[in-house]
Amino acid sequence: MARERNRTEDYTGPLKRLFLGVLLLCLFGLFLVWRIDSPRVERFRAQVIDSVLPSFDWAMAPVTATVKLLRDFQSYQSIYEQNQELRRELRTMTSWKEAAQQLEQENARLRDLNNVQLDPRLTYITGVVLADSGSLFRQTVLINVGSRDGIVDGWATMDGIGVVGRISGVGANTSRVILLTDTASRVPVIIQSSGQRALIVGDNSSAPPIDFLENPDLVLPGDRIVTSGDGDVFPPGLLIGQVAKDPGGRLRVRLAADYERLEFLRVLRDHGARQVDQPSALILPEDLPDNAPPPKKDGNDG
Amino acid sequence: MADAHQSRLWAMRGMYLLLCLLIVFFDLLPLRTTPMAWAPPDLLLALSFVWSERRPDYVPTFAAATVFLLADFLLQRPPGLWAALSLIVVEWARSHDRGHHERGFAVEWLGFAGAMIAMVVAYRLIMAITVADPGPLHLAATQAGFTILIYPLVVLVSHFIFRVRRLAPGDLEALG
Repeated sequence: MARERNRTEDYTGPLKRLFLGVLLLCLFGLFLVWRIDSPRVERFRAQVIDSVLPSFDWAMAPVTATVKLLRDFQSYQSIYEQNQELRRELRTMTSWKEAAQQLEQENARLRDLNNVQLDPRLTYITGVVLADSGSLFRQTVLINVGSRDGIVDGWATMDGIGVVGRISGVGANTSRVILLTDTASRVPVIIQSSGQRALIVGDNSSAPPIDFLENPDLVLPGDRIVTSGDGDVFPPGLLIGQVAKDPGGRLRVRLAADYERLEFLRVLRDHGARQVDQPSALILPEDLPDNAPPPKKDGNDG
Repeated sequence: MADAHQSRLWAMRGMYLLLCLLIVFFDLLPLRTTPMAWAPPDLLLALSFVWSERRPDYVPTFAAATVFLLADFLLQRPPGLWAALSLIVVEWARSHDRGHHERGFAVEWLGFAGAMIAMVVAYRLIMAITVADPGPLHLAATQAGFTILIYPLVVLVSHFIFRVRRLAPGDLEALG
């Protein structure tokens, strides 16, 4: 009986080896195709994720919630100190709130005097974070809105306060957000108070460095950083964070968005992204204000 | 007898796929959205290696390849490369079973460590040749290190909980 078994193994052995060879060839071939024609394969990846992940979804939410609950239990031990600290903070906050209310009223009065219209094109769609990248080499999250909801590649994503990242990869029901901390993320910014332009370059650390800064001496830790809108990457004026200096003396961003708890993300609709077609073209308003037609309403605001 | 063996074989193949999906599932949970300084082990590779080293029939080549490729797609890695390297290593583990000679655990562990390091080197080499960004070195190094360290634990869990053990010479006769 054992001999018979050996004989069948002799027979299937080369076949198995051939099969393995074909499989390996396919895998390496796929890698090469990805290297040559990345967008096509990435679109395929978005489709794979789009079909696989929603079937995990029913289990993902409760398991995530349970793990977070367990983590929170650990922090109960320090709850007394936390409470004291919060009380202290609250006292300073009330004075700030008073100041903010006064400023808000003043702001409203000034707006009224100036007859300012806020840009109505900046509306947003809110999505829930489904999954993270699962790998340490990429800093991305997956949200549960996709092309079905009108999401387009390149739109900015924020949490309640600051910019989180940029849409890259849209499936029918899901889309991927590349966080500002990812190594592939480059965002043109303005550092307020000195008005200098720079790039925020993600480097897989929680505080991305500020690069291409003309005069670092003019920048102080604590300065606010907002998007500049250069290169049509993001709409201008979105809050990114504050300047901080690391022990090595390098300028970094302390991000305003709470990356510890990314749960709900706002995707900003950006219909007005202006494209520069020619290398030396000027960016001008598409129509001069005098003969501009009445603003058209866009169809897909759902 | 043969029937019971067959049903156990398919149950264990199903168990392998289930465990792999579970590992990927926990990797994907949105629990860490901030960058980390170290990388957790590649459990998928360790599990596949341990199982195919002990019971190659529980880890069909095609199933392993599918799982690895799916992981590549879901975990945002360059599709195909890490899967191909993992498949080579798992098939190499499978080939150990042929001779039926007993190897000590230390030798097996050393073999896995060597394979893991070779995989990381080959991965970074191929990424460098194709001018792709292979990611930070310290993350790859810590991932390889933790995977090698966790290997005995995976062996113990497989042995005692899932009862994935090498066949003794007598068992083969009984299976027919």
